Amino acid sequence: MNNAAYIQLFKLAGPEMLIALAALAVLLVDLTLMRGAPVRARRVIAVLLTGVGGFAAALYLLQVPLRAVSWGGLWAVDPLTQLVKLGLVGLAVLTAVLSLEADYTDHVGEHFALLLLATVGLMVMAGAADLVLVFLGLELTGLSLYPLVALNKAGPRATEAALKYFFFGALAAAVTLFGFSFLYGLSGTTNLAGIAAALRGRGFDPLLALAVVFSLVGFGFKVAAVPFHLWAPDAYQGAPTPVAAFIASGSKLAGFFLLGRFVALALPESGDAGRAALFTPGWVPAVAVLALASMVLGNLAALAQRDLKRLLAYSAIAHAGYLLLAVLALNGAANRPAALAALVYYAGTYALAGLGAFAVAGHVERHAGAAALNHLTGLGRRAPWLAAGLAVFLLSLAGLPPLAGFPAKFYVFAAALNTPHAGAVSLGLVVVALLLSPVGFYYYLRVLKLAFVTESEKRPAGPDAPGNSPQGGENRFGVETAVALLAAAGVLGLGLFPQWLLGPLQAAVREAGG
Amino acid sequence: MQAALFYIFAALALVCGFLVVANPFSRNPVTSAMCLVLTLVWLAGLFVLLEAFFLGAVQILIYAGAVMVLFLFVIMLLDLRAEERRRLKRLGLVGGGLVAAALAVLLRGVIHEAAPAAAAPPAVEGTTEALGRLLFTRYLLPFEAVSVLLLVAMVGVVLLSKKELK
Repeated sequence: MNNAAYIQLFKLAGPEMLIALAALAVLLVDLTLMRGAPVRARRVIAVLLTGVGGFAAALYLLQVPLRAVSWGGLWAVDPLTQLVKLGLVGLAVLTAVLSLEADYTDHVGEHFALLLLATVGLMVMAGAADLVLVFLGLELTGLSLYPLVALNKAGPRATEAALKYFFFGALAAAVTLFGFSFLYGLSGTTNLAGIAAALRGRGFDPLLALAVVFSLVGFGFKVAAVPFHLWAPDAYQGAPTPVAAFIASGSKLAGFFLLGRFVALALPESGDAGRAALFTPGWVPAVAVLALASMVLGNLAALAQRDLKRLLAYSAIAHAGYLLLAVLALNGAANRPAALAALVYYAGTYALAGLGAFAVAGHVERHAGAAALNHLTGLGRRAPWLAAGLAVFLLSLAGLPPLAGFPAKFYVFAAALNTPHAGAVSLGLVVVALLLSPVGFYYYLRVLKLAFVTESEKRPAGPDAPGNSPQGGENRFGVETAVALLAAAGVLGLGLFPQWLLGPLQAAVREAGG
Repeated sequence: MQAALFYIFAALALVCGFLVVANPFSRNPVTSAMCLVLTLVWLAGLFVLLEAFFLGAVQILIYAGAVMVLFLFVIMLLDLRAEERRRLKRLGLVGGGLVAAALAVLLRGVIHEAAPAAAAPPAVEGTTEALGRLLFTRYLLPFEAVSVLLLVAMVGVVLLSKKELK
């Protein structure tokens, strides 16, 4: 009986186990075999082990056919979760490659182990079908990321960033747990589908509204939606760039996938037509407010930023708003498969573009000491490949047609407009989103103007800034360039052929039963 | 035998609980915290008498152990002298008395309504064996996830508290 449970565990949570094993292997090898070796060699070995673990997990995800299995209602394994987990593993491996240049810390083993364990947390988030696992996934991810943000102990902002991230995270976790306990109290089960079944047909109930709003706090924190976004700019700026890239990409993807599944599975859809139906489930107005606030504040605050990482943080907040539109579109049962596919497509392509943009920011930061916007001047001449990558990412984030950001926005808006019973709200939000697009174009293009057009008459100050010396090696084909080019190719390919990702996604959503 | 043990545990818990808030011998918060540990231990004894063995063990492990260590930690970080010099305020005494009286009235009402004498003792749910069985079968995955969580916490703490070599 006991063995059966363990066999089940290895079978259904195989990829997670492989990643966790890779984390243990990284830790063990770094602290025993590689003791005393040069830091650079230790990083290479750690990246290799991470790559092997990620590859094994990806193979498992691709090869072992599991069709809509669930483990006692706790853990869902279906093509959709497998696809999302594949994306998460890919993002983790790319982040590990970026961390090859992580010269800010000597704790190589811990660094990569925590990165892998955070990935396990994200995968648990992706597969959770029960409040217990939802919370465990959120906490596992959070607790792994807090120390990673503080990794650069010599950095002036790292400690502040980590503390802010931690305090906000702890508070959000507490409030979410409170909300979960109310949901359990109202429905008598922790299973997401069971909660929906127990809540269906219930009228407006203040306690239910409280439970739903409290539960949304933790997700809002994870995806940096507006009232819970305050940590994001500081954490993105203060964290080591690979870590910031992972928070912006992996954490966002898993967070939105989990939020989408939570809303779709656990909260009953509004059944009847009419205005009252809009308020019955309670979560629709709450999510609409979050979406509106995130879009407006993220886009407007990004205008005032002087630092590339902070600008990306506010842009991430704005994109969280757009993604919440897709979450909103999950409200109608008929619309649900299209909305879920659009949500995952948007989150996935956003994660790729965000990761690439952070790779460029990391390069600039390493050569100029900080990623301030005026350090970008002349990047087009100094590092043409990186600058081209930056252009692809930013234009994709802005939503320019040949790049992945355009079909992503298109499908999300289409799904939002098709939402039944919420016509006015959805239409209004889509109009706001469209009105804010030029604002986004303005600040993305401002960055690109600095990188390509503005001549760097005055070189960045500081005699030891390596970018200043002609043989400083900024043009050297580093890992950041490689990652940026890979991500740019992905963004371009998915923009030209959205069906490459959207097709499998729609098939997976259909197979997973919405 | 059971009744005798109940009275002994209950009396000890009451005495220790009183010593937590109003210790005539010492005004040291650490002493109060230690009395709280003893109170929790006697309460665990009451749980065992109710045949809730798991709850009793958890009470000692978590409340008397882990939570109290945190309490002591916080107390040690505070300025103890200021606490020892502080005099009792009349307002606090009156307010506390009022709350205690209200609670007593409420409790009396509840106990009066419950009328426990007739009912047979209900079967105890959540025995240690059933819990363990569930943890290692149905809830094996969350159990393993928690173990990974503990590993993360350990690695993170070591990473943050280790001295940077550079």
